[in-house]
Amino acid sequence: MLKIKRFDIGITILMLIVLLGIIGPMLRNVDPFDFGNLRDMPPSWQHPLGTDSLGRDLLAQLMYGIKTSLYVGLIAAIIAVVIGVVLGGISGYKRGLADESLMSVTNIGLLLPSILLMVMIAAYLKVRSPLMVAVIIGVTSWPGMARGIRAQTLSLAEREHVYLSIMSAYRASRVLFEDILANMAAYIFTSFIIHMSGAMLAEAGLSLIGAGPTMGTSLGLILFWAQTMYAISRGLWLWFIPPGAILVALASSLFIVASSLDEYFNPRLRSK
Amino acid sequence: MIKMLLLSSDNLKAYYVLSEGTVRAVNGVSMEIDHEVIYGLIGESGCGKSTLANVLMMRIIPPLKFMGGSLLLNGVDLFKASDEYLRTRVWGKMVSMIPQSALSALNPTERVRDLIKYVLKTHNKELTDTEITEIARKRFEELNLPTDALNFYPHELSGGMRQRVTIAISTLLNPDLLIVDEPTSALDVSTQKVVLKLLKRLRDSKIVESILFVTHDIAVLRQIADQIAVMYAGKIVEMGQMEQVMQDPKHPYTKALVNSVLTPEPEIRKRGLTYIPGEPPDLSNPPPGCKFHPRCQHASEVCRAEEPTLRALGNGRYSACFLNESTTEV
Amino acid sequence: MAVALFTFSLIIFLLPRLIPGNPLAALLAEIAQRGQANPEAVRIYERMLTDYFKFDRPLYQQYFDFMGRLFRGDLGTSVRFFPSKVSELIAASLPWTLALLIPATLVSWVIGNYLGVVIAFKRGRRTDKVVYPVLLILSQTPYYWLAMILLYYFAVQLHLFPVAGVHSPLRVPNLSIDFIIDLLHHYTLPFLSIVLAATGWWAIGMRALAIYETGSDYLLYAESLGVSNRRLQRFVLRNSMLPQVTGLAINFGTVLGGALITELVFSYRGTGYMIYQSLISLDYMLIQGVFMVLMVTLLLAIFIVDVIYAYIDPRIRTGYMGG
Repeated sequence: MLKIKRFDIGITILMLIVLLGIIGPMLRNVDPFDFGNLRDMPPSWQHPLGTDSLGRDLLAQLMYGIKTSLYVGLIAAIIAVVIGVVLGGISGYKRGLADESLMSVTNIGLLLPSILLMVMIAAYLKVRSPLMVAVIIGVTSWPGMARGIRAQTLSLAEREHVYLSIMSAYRASRVLFEDILANMAAYIFTSFIIHMSGAMLAEAGLSLIGAGPTMGTSLGLILFWAQTMYAISRGLWLWFIPPGAILVALASSLFIVASSLDEYFNPRLRSK
Repeated sequence: MIKMLLLSSDNLKAYYVLSEGTVRAVNGVSMEIDHEVIYGLIGESGCGKSTLANVLMMRIIPPLKFMGGSLLLNGVDLFKASDEYLRTRVWGKMVSMIPQSALSALNPTERVRDLIKYVLKTHNKELTDTEITEIARKRFEELNLPTDALNFYPHELSGGMRQRVTIAISTLLNPDLLIVDEPTSALDVSTQKVVLKLLKRLRDSKIVESILFVTHDIAVLRQIADQIAVMYAGKIVEMGQMEQVMQDPKHPYTKALVNSVLTPEPEIRKRGLTYIPGEPPDLSNPPPGCKFHPRCQHASEVCRAEEPTLRALGNGRYSACFLNESTTEV
Repeated sequence: MAVALFTFSLIIFLLPRLIPGNPLAALLAEIAQRGQANPEAVRIYERMLTDYFKFDRPLYQQYFDFMGRLFRGDLGTSVRFFPSKVSELIAASLPWTLALLIPATLVSWVIGNYLGVVIAFKRGRRTDKVVYPVLLILSQTPYYWLAMILLYYFAVQLHLFPVAGVHSPLRVPNLSIDFIIDLLHHYTLPFLSIVLAATGWWAIGMRALAIYETGSDYLLYAESLGVSNRRLQRFVLRNSMLPQVTGLAINFGTVLGGALITELVFSYRGTGYMIYQSLISLDYMLIQGVFMVLMVTLLLAIFIVDVIYAYIDPRIRTGYMGG
């Protein structure tokens, strides 16, 4: 029973934030990029969170930022999962040379501090859309995914139903899809959620050091501007605390959802 | 004055509460274990005997739930005991169990002698390391175990050795009742003999008082048990002295069990081998009336309708079958 | 390991050079700014520097030069911070970063693991219901944001701690008690922000491992012999620690990246800050040098981890010895 409760909490928080990001702007028609307001305003009816040092309404920024961060997280996770599943699956199923070579690539990818790659790519592309940032993050995070998928594939490939399918002369791709991937669906799904959470945090980190998107705004970018404009020293807590809090809430709720699903699919993990 | 029994249970019930249904693994078990007895508990897989063993140990882990009845060990009502009491006075001291998975019961990252140290030290903090080594060494010698084994890690010992070491560790504190659950199932015949000898030695040298031996293998029980209880679908269906039950089984299930085992005794061998038709019942959805009636060749109307209770047949014999109706009810 | 190193050295050599941009640009801009605005002079400088750094030589020659120097222990000269040598720059900034990272990581790892086991044992009870959510939230909190909060509350509002830097700009590093106190003063908030966030992360990870372990046969058996809860917790800790030890080694790579951001938030002049500068200004030599050092340290950490593994788990030890 407890696990159901936890899942509810997680999914509720998640939904609330998503709604804020998607429905919010429709209900409140304020342009987050309108630099015309008075700067550093305290909260008021017109600007519930006040304005930042460039005259932008903070609540509008927040809502737009949520949308962008979610978008980046989603795209990056999809990319990482697709690449990871394909490479990890082939690696774990075929084994032999394919496995060895793919694994060395993966290991190097894992060890390489992704910050390095991301910042350098960011320096290369002077203008970056959220989509590009998402692609960068996705492409640097697939090794972790591939590793996990490979491990799962290896253990699943030993099972009898797979053996049976191979004996029945099913094509390799059919075996892969029907017998192996189908059984990994739960694992892939929960990994996806975790990756999405990680990608959002990665985007925030990149944005903070100036390597994030150069258009629009995201939760990380709001923090970037706050940092650049010394919002902390100036005590403008409404600028930097809400975006971070939302990030934490998003990451935590995603984690809760993922681990509750894990418990659901894997009864061994259920609490007493 | 009647001497207090070592263990007595009355209408003990424990069910597994699952989302798919409730499994009535222990469904009203009343049994008595006397002092200095090797008591066998026999039944097929899935009859609830391992669960019963755990319950008698007070190892009730969810989703297993205590549903009723009483359990007295040395006169102490265990279900009224606190966790503290169980941990410090009961477990290891009054009753000790060697679980079915004895081969994986030892912590793989600790040497045997360290495991012994932890068990001994928990119950007597004053013991020094030298004293502990002495105790361990002496006990191993007493039980005919090589003292070298003390310095090994579990994975460095053979299966049979691990079993014997586990038995030794379980009896370090000289428990009154030792419960062994299928100790010989995973072993070859010669190792089985060694383990059985070890158990007998434990009882003879008074390290333990009584042993409850849970198994599905009648042949093994014949070599060691004094008394026997037959379990089926969560209930005890027959109890009595080992030889008596073997020669003259009263309950149809016991009869079938005895007949399905090849034994050297000519009288039993003459009967020929038979198998028991059908399958053990699903304990979450058992048949009505007598739980054995679907497989019983003597089943009648009353068997389908009512459940027989365990009745005394005199001479220490008990049976739960309408065929053996007697004057005294248990 | 050697293969990984060579591959990595190739990557770290090629990647910056693949990015369009002049490595000398930042340096030349600075020189121009310092009053040498004469375009002729700048061009001469450029030619001098290009020659010095051999940027006009074919790539394979540059690579051999790089590797050759590497074996002699020479990491080259920085472009951005010309004429400082890379090794000097690293030596100057690394101690600060390590002094922050290593204690913070170790402290959070130890505390986190311990908490994780305790929480796993007390699962479902009051302690778990309160502590677990806190740890969960901490684990998902980026430490630069935690840093912001700490900075805001304790430094700006309460004025208990300084806002930036490693030490007061007015003081000169020395070993006096005064300076050390000042150092610790500056050190506390960055340290706390990493420790709090990381402890949550390790605790949550350990909890998952410990919960799996608590269902083990050997644990149930030991418990049935009356062994104390504390001792059982130690069993679980020891037997589930292995993945956490690996995690520690791998973590090293990510932590340095995260330290980069933390150092930025606190204007803490450590290696992270320097890495950031090198990446932004495309300083080939500095990038190569720093990341090679990083890679070597990482591989070393992994090696040490393997050794520790064998020590902790006797089953692996036997495997190694062919038992």
